[in-house]
Amino acid sequence: MLALESVDAAYGDAQALWDVSLTVGRGEIVTLLGANGAGKTTTLRTISGLLRPRRGRVLLDGKRLDTRPAHEVAAAGIGHVPEARRLFANMTVRENLLMGAFRAERWADREATLERVFETFPRLAERRHQLAGTLSGGEQQMCAIGRALMGRPSLLMLDEPSLGLAPNVVDLIFDIIRQVAQGGVTILLVEQNAHLALEIADRGYVMETGRIVLEGAGRDLLEDAHVRRAYLGL
Amino acid sequence: MPWFIVVEQILNGLVLGAIYAIMASGLSLIWGSLKMLNFAHGEFYMLGGYGLYLLLLYTGLPLGVAVPICVAAVYLAGWLVERAFVQPLLDKPGWDVSPLIATLGISIVLQNLALRLLGERIQSLPYFVEGTLALGSVRIAWHRVLILLVSGLVIAAFVSILKTTRLGMALRATAQDRDAATLQGINVRGVYAMTFGLSAALAALAGTMLAPIFSVSPWMGAALLGKAFVVCVLGGLGSLEGAILGGVILGTVESLAVVLWSSEWKDVVSFIVLIGVLWVRPAGLFGTREW
Repeated sequence: MLALESVDAAYGDAQALWDVSLTVGRGEIVTLLGANGAGKTTTLRTISGLLRPRRGRVLLDGKRLDTRPAHEVAAAGIGHVPEARRLFANMTVRENLLMGAFRAERWADREATLERVFETFPRLAERRHQLAGTLSGGEQQMCAIGRALMGRPSLLMLDEPSLGLAPNVVDLIFDIIRQVAQGGVTILLVEQNAHLALEIADRGYVMETGRIVLEGAGRDLLEDAHVRRAYLGL
Repeated sequence: MPWFIVVEQILNGLVLGAIYAIMASGLSLIWGSLKMLNFAHGEFYMLGGYGLYLLLLYTGLPLGVAVPICVAAVYLAGWLVERAFVQPLLDKPGWDVSPLIATLGISIVLQNLALRLLGERIQSLPYFVEGTLALGSVRIAWHRVLILLVSGLVIAAFVSILKTTRLGMALRATAQDRDAATLQGINVRGVYAMTFGLSAALAALAGTMLAPIFSVSPWMGAALLGKAFVVCVLGGLGSLEGAILGGVILGTVESLAVVLWSSEWKDVVSFIVLIGVLWVRPAGLFGTREW
C-alpha cells in the first residue's frame, strides 16, 4: 500500500535520511524502531509531505505522494498522529476532533464520526468542551489519535504514542491501536519502546543514524541478538 | 463643565474605540496566524475610504451597495498582496523580517499611488445618515450611532465565524500549529491569504465608515495604523479580546483627554496609558496569545 523507494531527506544542509526504503502492506501493523535522532520522525514527516525528499519516491497504492502538496496527503487517506501530539492547545477537545474531519467529504458526516470516536474514547466525550491544552498527557494522546481517526484514514501513522505516559495509560492506548487495526486500518507505528511495539507489529524496521539497518517479522526481531542488546536491554 | 458634554465625549470615544477595535483585530489576526506585523494595514483602510469616495462620486450607487463593494474589493487586494508579496518571502531561513519590510514597501507604494492618482487634496464625504440623536441634553450624530451598531455587529459576526465555522476553526488551527493543521488537510497557504484578505476587509470597512468623520487623504491610514498598533500592544498581541477591549479603552481615554485637557494632548495621554499598562502587565491586558 505504502512504499518508500531510496528516500533521502534533509533539514537545510543536515541530511537526516539516507536511502530509506520500506513498504507497508494493506492491513499490516508495521513498526519503525530506533534511538532518538535515528530518523523515525523524519520518515513520517516525509510521508506526510511536511518534508520533501531530496531523492527517491513515496508511493501510495502505486501513485506518487511526494509530488503532491502536503495538505492533500490527508485526503489520500493518511492519518498522522505527530510526535508530542501537536494538539490545537487553545481549542476545545471537540474543536480539535472536528479539525480532523476538515476535508469537505468528511465534514458532511462529522457528527456521526464524532460519536464513533467518543465511543472509542469515552474520556474525550466527558472532556469535549475542555481546552486541549489543559488535558492530561494520556487524554492528549487520545485526543490526537481521535483527531486522526476523524479523517477515517486507511493508513494511520503514530509517532511515539507511549511517550511520557503512565504504564496503564500506555496499555490502554495500545489496546486502542490494536482495535483500530482490527477495524481494517493499516498501521505504521514509530516507537522507542521496542518491546511494546514488536508485541503488536507484524513486521518491523530498525533505523540507525538515518538508515534502515534491519528489517524482519516482529517475532524475528524480538529474537534478534542486535535488537535484544540495543533496544530491548536484554 | 456640563455633565452631558462628558457623556457625549464618552460616546464619541466609544465610536472611535469601535473603529480602533476593528483595525486592531485585523492586525491581531495576521499577527496570530502569520506571526508578522502588517505595515500596509493602514493603506487597506485608505483604499476603503477612497474606494467609497470614488464610487459615490462616479456611480451614485446607494451606500448599501457601495460599502460592500469596497469591502469585497479590498478583501481581494489583501488576498493578492499576501499571495504576491508575502508568501514568496515566508519560510526563508534568515529572511524573517523580509515579509514585514515588504508590507512597509507596499504601504509606501500605495500612499504615493493615491497621491499621484488622486492628488493631495483632502476629500470629504457626507455622513451616511443625517441628523442627530438627542437623549435629553446628550446629542450624538446618527452616523456615529450607526458606526457603533455596525462595528458591534461586525465584531460579533467575526468572532462567531472564527468560533463556529469550518473555515474559521481552520484559521485558528493554522494560527496555533501550522504543521498539525497541514496534517488535517488544511491548506495553510490558502488560509494565510484568506487571513490577509479578511484583515484587509475589516480595515476597509473601518475606512468607509470613518471617511465622513475624518475625511479622505493618501495619509489617512498612516495615523490610524499607529493607534492600531498601540491597541494591539495594550490588549496583548494576537489576542482578539485584547484588541476589542484595548480599542474601546483607548478611544474613550482619548476622547476624555480632549475635553479634560486639549486635543493636542490626546496622543500623549494614549501613550501614557500604554506605558502604564505595560508597566503592570508587560504582555498587555490579555497577554500575548494565540487564536
